[in-house]
Amino acid sequence: MIRIRNLTHIYPGSRKVAPHVAVSDLSLDVREGEFAILSGPNGSGKSTLFRILCGLARPSTGQVSIAGFDLLTEPARVRGVLGVVFQSPAVDKQLTVAENLAIQADLYDIPAADYLARRDLALAWTDLGGRLDNRVETLSGGLARQVELAKVLMTNPRVLLLDEPTTGLDPVSRRNFLEALQRLHHERGLTILMTSHVFSEAEDVDRVAIMREGKLMAYDTPQALRAMIGTEMVVIQSREAASLAGRLESELGLTVSVVGDEVRLAETENGDSLPLLEKILHRYRPDIRSISIKQPGLDDVFVRVTGGAASGQE
Amino acid sequence: MSSLARVSLSLARREMVRFFRQPQRVVGTIAQPLLFWLFLGFGFAGSFRIPGMENVTYLEYFYPGVMLMLMLFSAVFSTITIIEDRDAGFLQGVLVAPVSRLAIVLGKVIGATSIALIQTMIFLAAAPVLGLTLGFGGLVMVVGGFVLAGVGFSTLGFLLAWGMRSTAAFHAVMMVFLMPLWMLSGALFPLDNVPVAMKAVMMINPVSHALEIIRAPFYAEPSALLSDSHYLLALAISVVWAVGGLVLSMIRVNRREAGLSPKGA
Repeated sequence: MIRIRNLTHIYPGSRKVAPHVAVSDLSLDVREGEFAILSGPNGSGKSTLFRILCGLARPSTGQVSIAGFDLLTEPARVRGVLGVVFQSPAVDKQLTVAENLAIQADLYDIPAADYLARRDLALAWTDLGGRLDNRVETLSGGLARQVELAKVLMTNPRVLLLDEPTTGLDPVSRRNFLEALQRLHHERGLTILMTSHVFSEAEDVDRVAIMREGKLMAYDTPQALRAMIGTEMVVIQSREAASLAGRLESELGLTVSVVGDEVRLAETENGDSLPLLEKILHRYRPDIRSISIKQPGLDDVFVRVTGGAASGQE
Repeated sequence: MSSLARVSLSLARREMVRFFRQPQRVVGTIAQPLLFWLFLGFGFAGSFRIPGMENVTYLEYFYPGVMLMLMLFSAVFSTITIIEDRDAGFLQGVLVAPVSRLAIVLGKVIGATSIALIQTMIFLAAAPVLGLTLGFGGLVMVVGGFVLAGVGFSTLGFLLAWGMRSTAAFHAVMMVFLMPLWMLSGALFPLDNVPVAMKAVMMINPVSHALEIIRAPFYAEPSALLSDSHYLLALAISVVWAVGGLVLSMIRVNRREAGLSPKGA
């Protein structure tokens, strides 16, 4: 659905600043109906890639096609199937919610007969009921985001591009926004590409791309990315963590560390933890409150892939 | 591709709604030219004498020029919103929409020109006080002149504002570029007794010609003007100014910031 081939973007320098390669020979595909997240440390080129994808910048070299239309030669056709949610909301804060939606309907030539039905459908999942005649500047950040997404969804896009849409939202608004996005993804079969560096957002998506210095470092399912690290860890909770740790070391010869009431075993190769867990459970059952195998998180993958270039947080 | 008219009018309506929701802007753009006109008009009343126009007071001479100034200020303040729209994010939402790039220009220009026209019409009500009369034909010609000047000024503002990132820079450019265009148009003083170099600038200045087609209908019958080659030339130049501004603005919007080609490719 989104097809990027050998894309390079070089920012022209000035007398004082040398030209800067923001995206370097990048190829990437997002298949129809997939939800992909694009992440990378600050300055990794993801914002540049985003600007190219929504047609605001023209790349130095390479091809991009969206829904089968070439972005460079048929930008108008691409705009027709594309919905874009920017980091700074593209709503007019001095206008009311209804006025903003009406302008959007004009921009996308939604027939007047369909407008109210389409608007109600786009607003159905939001908390904006009763706020239609309020100016956007009087709404909270979370509600303003909802206006933005409702506005984009009203145009029935086939491909949705989002640039760090949850920036500045509190955790509750953030979760509501992402839940709505996931639901719409499933209900409408939308193809979604979203930039983000909050990894809790990436756990439920189809694929995660990690960029660094303009290059694509990894692009796979969250499971496969976690498996890339190749290790897992047994974690035991116990009332007597210190004494249990001592016995594990002396009797089984394991390397352990104690964090609070948790005993953490050294990382093992994938698959080796389960037999270990069974053995420990069998021998020390009375001392164990809970025992589990911890998979590495996506932020661990991010730090590994990007060489610790960023913390993975905003 | 959405229809050109629907998108342009929708964006123009937005400009009007925003304008009338800011009463300070409404008051400011009309009060400033009014004060200018009254202060300069009465101030120069004693010393202003043009050979051959001895019965024209400065208040009357300056009248078409001050309305042109109102058009200039109004159009310029309207196009400043391009920088604000880009800053606030609204503009990028319009740019990614499947709309003709001309509609983006027209939305701004129609909005800016309409706002300016409404204000000018209030000013036009003062004509009888000065003893100036306009028939229906004359009124149509004056309003037509205002529309051309409004489109000309707002496309100039559009071209200047499009690449700018700060409103402060826009104010600076307006003071050193747009104001002189107006000052050298014959709005403040007649073109007859000025140095040759300055006169040359005034002749190629489209604002002079816009002023000409706005001033003329107050002093001549429409039928006489339509056979006057001097008037027709001024009209033609004003049309070229407005249409040229629209075309250049559209080209400007269409140009995407491009990446540098790699060396050797």
